[in-house]
Amino acid sequence: MALTVRQKQTYFRYTQYALLAALALALILLADWPTLIDKAFNPQIIAQQFPQIITVALKNTLIYTALGFILGLSAGTLLALMKISSIAPYRWLATAYIELFRGLPALLVFLAFGYGLPLAFGLRLDNYLTVMLALGMVSAAYIGEVLRAGLEAVPHGQYEAARCLGMSHSRAMISIIIPQAFKIVLPALTNEVILLTKDSSLVYLLGMSLAQYELTKFGREGITTTGAGLTPLVLAGACYLIITIPLGILARRIEKKAKA
Amino acid sequence: MTSTPAVTIKNLHKSYGSNPVLKGIDLTVDSGQVLCLIGPSGSGKSTLLRCINLLETPDSGSIQALGQEMTSPDIDLDAARRQMGMVFQHFNLFPHLTVLENCTLAQRKVLGRSAQEAQKIALDNLAKVGLADYAQRKPSQLSGGQAQRVAIARALSMNPSLMLFDEPTSALDPETVGDVLDIMRQLAAEGMTMILVTHEISFAQQVADRVVFMADGQIVEEGSAQQVIGNPQHERTKTFLSRLLHQVN
Repeated sequence: MALTVRQKQTYFRYTQYALLAALALALILLADWPTLIDKAFNPQIIAQQFPQIITVALKNTLIYTALGFILGLSAGTLLALMKISSIAPYRWLATAYIELFRGLPALLVFLAFGYGLPLAFGLRLDNYLTVMLALGMVSAAYIGEVLRAGLEAVPHGQYEAARCLGMSHSRAMISIIIPQAFKIVLPALTNEVILLTKDSSLVYLLGMSLAQYELTKFGREGITTTGAGLTPLVLAGACYLIITIPLGILARRIEKKAKA
Repeated sequence: MTSTPAVTIKNLHKSYGSNPVLKGIDLTVDSGQVLCLIGPSGSGKSTLLRCINLLETPDSGSIQALGQEMTSPDIDLDAARRQMGMVFQHFNLFPHLTVLENCTLAQRKVLGRSAQEAQKIALDNLAKVGLADYAQRKPSQLSGGQAQRVAIARALSMNPSLMLFDEPTSALDPETVGDVLDIMRQLAAEGMTMILVTHEISFAQQVADRVVFMADGQIVEEGSAQQVIGNPQHERTKTFLSRLLHQVN
């Protein structure tokens, strides 16, 4: 009996589901659950991590991310405006900056700010300031590119209409173009915040006091002190998701509202 | 009738790359006049209109508008543009603002009017185009004809002395064209100086004080509507008009 095209597609899909389910089942059956629970999901160790994992580590991750984002967004906006400027040296400067900081691993930038700056200028910055600079300057490169795409996506007629009403270039940008560009790039911008949240784990490179630990460092220390497997890191991972998943949901909400 | 020129254009040239679009245009528009620019697409009429407020920079020639030398290097462009409103084919309303904010923003930020004053003027002009009830809507909630009427109200809220219309009805559904034309007719009757690029030949016939027919970057024929549309002298004009009329009928 010949199958119709649609029937074939349906059966093909069911086969895919079945394979996926079989794979998951195999993994579940093959895993060494008692060891896994003891080493990675140990309830006693989980209990030990509280409340510091929230009051210190989660809080610091949020602070570092926020500091980085504030600088990244302001510098990124500036870079995006420079990149679309009619003045060539501005464009060159912005391009050079973006290529440099987008091309380097964030880890190297952290090292440069943490150890390079003191070497070069005998300057020891406060840890929070160093974090802000390192995270902010890396994310500025990405945010700058994202915003430039957004600015260019706003139809040119919007700019012309603003100028025809007598607005200056800067007034047209501030009141008309930038607000529309932000709406366009909101999903991409959320992505940047999420990446930034995870990049904040690089702060460990700077060497810091217990009160400055963020999630990853806190988890790693937890492994050393408890000597009991991966549980502290698993918990830290869960805490990252607690930050990033609501961010994604929030962005989708705002996006929906903006479209309406 | 007074005849101070509102716009004087002398020997205007403009090319895009090696492609000349305006080849020496001379044109005078008197205050209170309604001038219609007609012609086939690619004839340079939109470019000519956009040169008047310097949305396009001419290569050579001079433009005087409302007593200011637009082509002078010393021109305060923002100040000059404040006095001339522009209406675009695709409306170009600001989609992130309400209808009312579209009409008040420039009044406040450019003219420095108070929020209250700007709002009053905006609502007056929205009432004039029959859309006072739509003040709190977003542009995306308007039909094309309504959007274009808001765009006219937005331009009028700046109290311009000259209005430029760039194919204001070309992007509209046929049934909403009439509303927009009615408002333009009313503006003309109030004595507004208007320059418009249009394909609405019957509107030009009824409202225009002067009609200019352009082709290939040059003015082929100009005169009263009766002369240019009713009794065209040049072969190009005759061909263009007969094609346009056949399309309509």
